[in-house]
Amino acid sequence: MVGDVLLRCYHMGREPVMKEFWETALLSPLTEVGEALLHFLPYLLAMIIVLVVGFVLAWAIGNVVERLLRVLGLDALSNSLGVSAALARGGVKSEFSHLVGRGAYWMVIILTVMSGLFVLNLEPLNQFARSLLAYLPHLFTATLILVAGFLLSNFISQAVLIAAVNAGLPPARMVAALSRWGVQLVAIAMALEQLGIAETVVVVGFALLMGGVVLAGAIAFGFGARDIAKDYLERRLSLKQDDKKADDLRHL
Amino acid sequence: MSSTGTTGTPLTPDTETKVSEIGEADILVGIPSFNNADTIGHVVRAASAGLAKYFPGMRAVLVNSDGGSTDGTADVVARTVVDLGTMLISDKQSALHKIITPYHGIPGKGSAFRTIFEIARRLKVKACAVVDSDLRSITPEWIELLLRPVLDEGYDYVAPYYLRHKYDGTITNSIVYPLTQALYGQRVRQPIGGDFGFSGKQLDHYLDKHVWESDVAKFGIDVWMTTEAIASGGRICQAFLGAKIHNPKDPARDLAAMLVQVVGAVFALMEEHQTVWWQLTGSNPVKLYGFQYEVSVEPVNVNVDRMITSFRQGLEDLEPIWRQMLASDTMDRLMPLKDCTLQAFRVPDDLWARVVYDVATAYHKRLLPRDHLLKAFTPLYLGRTATFVLETQALTTAEAETRIESLCKVFEELKPYLVERWGNPIHG
Repeated sequence: MVGDVLLRCYHMGREPVMKEFWETALLSPLTEVGEALLHFLPYLLAMIIVLVVGFVLAWAIGNVVERLLRVLGLDALSNSLGVSAALARGGVKSEFSHLVGRGAYWMVIILTVMSGLFVLNLEPLNQFARSLLAYLPHLFTATLILVAGFLLSNFISQAVLIAAVNAGLPPARMVAALSRWGVQLVAIAMALEQLGIAETVVVVGFALLMGGVVLAGAIAFGFGARDIAKDYLERRLSLKQDDKKADDLRHL
Repeated sequence: MSSTGTTGTPLTPDTETKVSEIGEADILVGIPSFNNADTIGHVVRAASAGLAKYFPGMRAVLVNSDGGSTDGTADVVARTVVDLGTMLISDKQSALHKIITPYHGIPGKGSAFRTIFEIARRLKVKACAVVDSDLRSITPEWIELLLRPVLDEGYDYVAPYYLRHKYDGTITNSIVYPLTQALYGQRVRQPIGGDFGFSGKQLDHYLDKHVWESDVAKFGIDVWMTTEAIASGGRICQAFLGAKIHNPKDPARDLAAMLVQVVGAVFALMEEHQTVWWQLTGSNPVKLYGFQYEVSVEPVNVNVDRMITSFRQGLEDLEPIWRQMLASDTMDRLMPLKDCTLQAFRVPDDLWARVVYDVATAYHKRLLPRDHLLKAFTPLYLGRTATFVLETQALTTAEAETRIESLCKVFEELKPYLVERWGNPIHG
């Protein structure tokens, strides 16, 4: 295109050609860019406003949720359910109300960022935001499943531990740990299935893993803990004279 | 734990008819049962003879509230008759009415009592007594001792006083008796004895409480009746009944469940009546009726090693849970018991009182799920029971009784510790 203009410049005279050159080759694209920028700027501004408001809102909601739950006694409840102790074992020292508050904060942040992308009104980004939005319920459900599974696993393992100790079962902690892992494993498998991550692999993997755990447990108990099993069964079947005597004690 | 109301307990149509036929009565003896065919005949004979001998002019009713026995318990009750002539009792009374009825609600002694109470209320009785159906040592005199203080002396509640082996009733001796005395200031020796007498007024109070779907409906009924009688300001006395010999109903494998029901009921009552006990100090003896005598009691074999092993496993495996429910000072004093010799193993009185008060506070503040808390308490209780056995194995039952009384004193002395940890019930 520039070659043609120069050739015409040579043949037809310099000034009109240069004028056309400025208008066609330089000003027109620049004008188009400028117009596009002017058209885009309000969207950009709107996105910035949405982000700023959203971040402030996220901060406020996060704090309000945290304080409200603290006032309602969620921390005491999580202590009594053993959730705090379980979190501490996993290296999480924060109070449960703080964690839920942070969860609410990040939920609002995600929604804010997605709203910002929508406001930009760019088709590829809109598409991305739409698919992310469609995925959110799955993400939310998976999170709920994980949290519920975590709480349930703690409750069950604590109950199992206490029952095993009261039954005089020597590997009480191992039994309790197995019950915790079992429940958590189920929760993780369900959450992954909800997220649609390699569903078949998860189901097959879970089945294999559970089978393996049961088999490993049986082998370990059979070989590694023969004495414990023998001792336990003997006591349960009252083969030991010592333990027969204990039945005479009347507690009430 | 409770609220009040006046909804009647449903009775079966047959029982309704029978109650209508009788109309009104003066006294009633209730016997809850479940598969007690081998012992209930003796209890019915003793109760019938007691009513005929000591209350000849009164309209009396005997009620058996059964939980669906399959061993013919109801048949035994129906066909049991007493030959009053051989007991030199001249039969001056009208025929003794017998009501044999199943009970509604969750299976347990409490539900059986509820039906007995409802029948007693409808018959407008002046005094009512309940006795266990597995008793082998009950005599006709028990009926007089449980009913006479109500009829003649105006008492609202008569608690039993038995002679028992030093290792019979260890939950009573180490938890319920000391705690009831320290909390409510009344020295009722057998707050969960199982055989009681009470007035028509007290009966109405019991029936108006909505506790019948809770643990009270099971093992908790006895301590609930005693505590309610004390906390409601009723006049309390005790009746000396001699030895209590009965079929064992609390095998060790059910210990945790039993603690959940009995100790759970005690703690729940502490919450309900916290304004009653919170500022109360000291305790008073409770009048004891009846001719007191010495009697030999059935020997009880105990396995201390097993109890200590259970305690130590608790210390090993339940340490994180115990740290949640016990004060750190209490826990620090328990830890050395993990490795000490059998001779040195002791959970001393003051430490035990602190343990019980800590657990009560943890229950009140819901530091753990309550079921877990009470079940996790089991090895601690066994540790204390082992201590009691080790300390009293060379003592007679009477000498061991002084040890129990000194434990009660420690519970009283340490009550400020409980009050401080519990928190002010008025200001929360």
